[in-house]
Amino acid sequence: MSGSIMDAEKTGGGLPPLMPDLYESLAEPGRYGLVGSRCRTCGCISFPLDAHCPKCRGGTGREVVGTRGTLYSYTVVRTKAPFGLPQPYAVGYVDLAESSLRVFGLLDPAAIGSLEVGMPVEVTVMPLGVDNEGRRCLRPVFRASGDRRERSIP
Amino acid sequence: MIAGGGSTPFSRHPGRTVLSLAREAGTKALADAGLAPADIGMGIFANVLSGKLFGDLTVGQNAFAEMGIPRIPVFNVENACASGSSAVHLACMAIRAGEVECAMVIGAEKMCVPQIGLLSSGDSELDTLLGLVAPASFALRARRHMTEFGTTLEQLAMVSVKSRRHSARNSNAMFRTPVTVEQVLASPMIADPLTRLQSCPIADGASAVIVCSGKMGRRIGARVAVRATMLSSGNYDNPQDLARWRTDYEGVSRVYELAGIGPEDLDVVECHDAFSISEIMHYEALRLCPPGGGGELLESGTTSLGGRIPVNVSGGLLSRGHPVGATGVEQVLELTRQLRGDAGSRQVGGARVGLAHCMGGDRSADTKSMTAIVLAT
Repeated sequence: MSGSIMDAEKTGGGLPPLMPDLYESLAEPGRYGLVGSRCRTCGCISFPLDAHCPKCRGGTGREVVGTRGTLYSYTVVRTKAPFGLPQPYAVGYVDLAESSLRVFGLLDPAAIGSLEVGMPVEVTVMPLGVDNEGRRCLRPVFRASGDRRERSIP
Repeated sequence: MIAGGGSTPFSRHPGRTVLSLAREAGTKALADAGLAPADIGMGIFANVLSGKLFGDLTVGQNAFAEMGIPRIPVFNVENACASGSSAVHLACMAIRAGEVECAMVIGAEKMCVPQIGLLSSGDSELDTLLGLVAPASFALRARRHMTEFGTTLEQLAMVSVKSRRHSARNSNAMFRTPVTVEQVLASPMIADPLTRLQSCPIADGASAVIVCSGKMGRRIGARVAVRATMLSSGNYDNPQDLARWRTDYEGVSRVYELAGIGPEDLDVVECHDAFSISEIMHYEALRLCPPGGGGELLESGTTSLGGRIPVNVSGGLLSRGHPVGATGVEQVLELTRQLRGDAGSRQVGGARVGLAHCMGGDRSADTKSMTAIVLAT
């Protein structure tokens, strides 16, 4: 579930994730997926990971439910930030490309000025804030997916 | 039926405890109903934050004991912003079941204290840990509503302008100074597009109503009947449509069915305008207009005092203030004043049917609790 050593250096040293089984690093370096469940009985996909299906209570299997998607709605929160998050910070709902799920999440703090409904985003992981016991930690974040392509094209 | 009610001003009450606020509201309710402590067969106490802020639990028993009402069954109810209305629903259920003839509901909150912090749905929930605070969840609805229906920033701001126009006539409201669209939009941004003047303020306060059976109500000359009450949880389905709140639409349909009425029968509405966008979305769920038409309905003046269906003539949460546990009770009390013709300068002329609508908590982009209560003369 933790990324490679190289990923870890880029994304916040040896910091622990906000909680276990929330995301995992993919085979492609620097790429992450959100971890959820698929019901072994009815096939329902859910996020976050849950041992039981929210629809039929059947047993589930762990599955990456999304690595990218489109921004369904967003806001920039300017109240005092909870859990040591940057101030201001942006959050939104994202329609995941690989499943029918619409998930809530943090948005890349660097993208605050350029958010648009419908923009393509992808999952990444950043050292952002603290967990509910006050320890610095890694959180999954959606960033504009164009960013990565631009960087990778020489 | 509603035998009577009473409330404290909603404001900052430094130096007063939640118990003293509750006692004041309860005592006023007894006087208003012309009842004695011995007439109360059950006590229901709605409060959200005393456990978190003061480490106090089972506060309801203390409140009723201090009013000289010991021994009766007492429930403490917490359903976030819908705690007070859930408590009213519970009282009505007890009376419909024939368990008691008369129950007092008190909603009380003391929250204007330094340790209040940010309100969320629970510190251990994933969405909270990812930064979902209450203003954000409504801002995300507002952004989507604007995107899909073309609702404008000015229409959002007009909710607050209307609210202040109404609260100027309510001496129990926290904020009564009129504001303009420009002032609302220029106030500090909380979670865009929602500014501070589009966000309900925290407040201290208490509100109480006494609910009784029809038989007892006729004996004491009560005039306002409870036609229907409903409470539901969210469906938490994924995906949720943030611009069309299905739990809201379904809850309203259910209460219309229970009361045997439709939107055209309503004379006055108190709804959960926690943020400007909430009121616009609740117009749509209440079927006062088609989905997406909330902004235009507001702009037309239909929901202002003097319009066809005035909404939140008390000032609502936005201007009256939102002592979380008290709000749902105060909504019912406000409708009672309106239906009795006791609402003074904010009286809706000839009001006979009123609906109180409330929501509380947030889970998976849905509400955790939704209530609707229909009163009629």
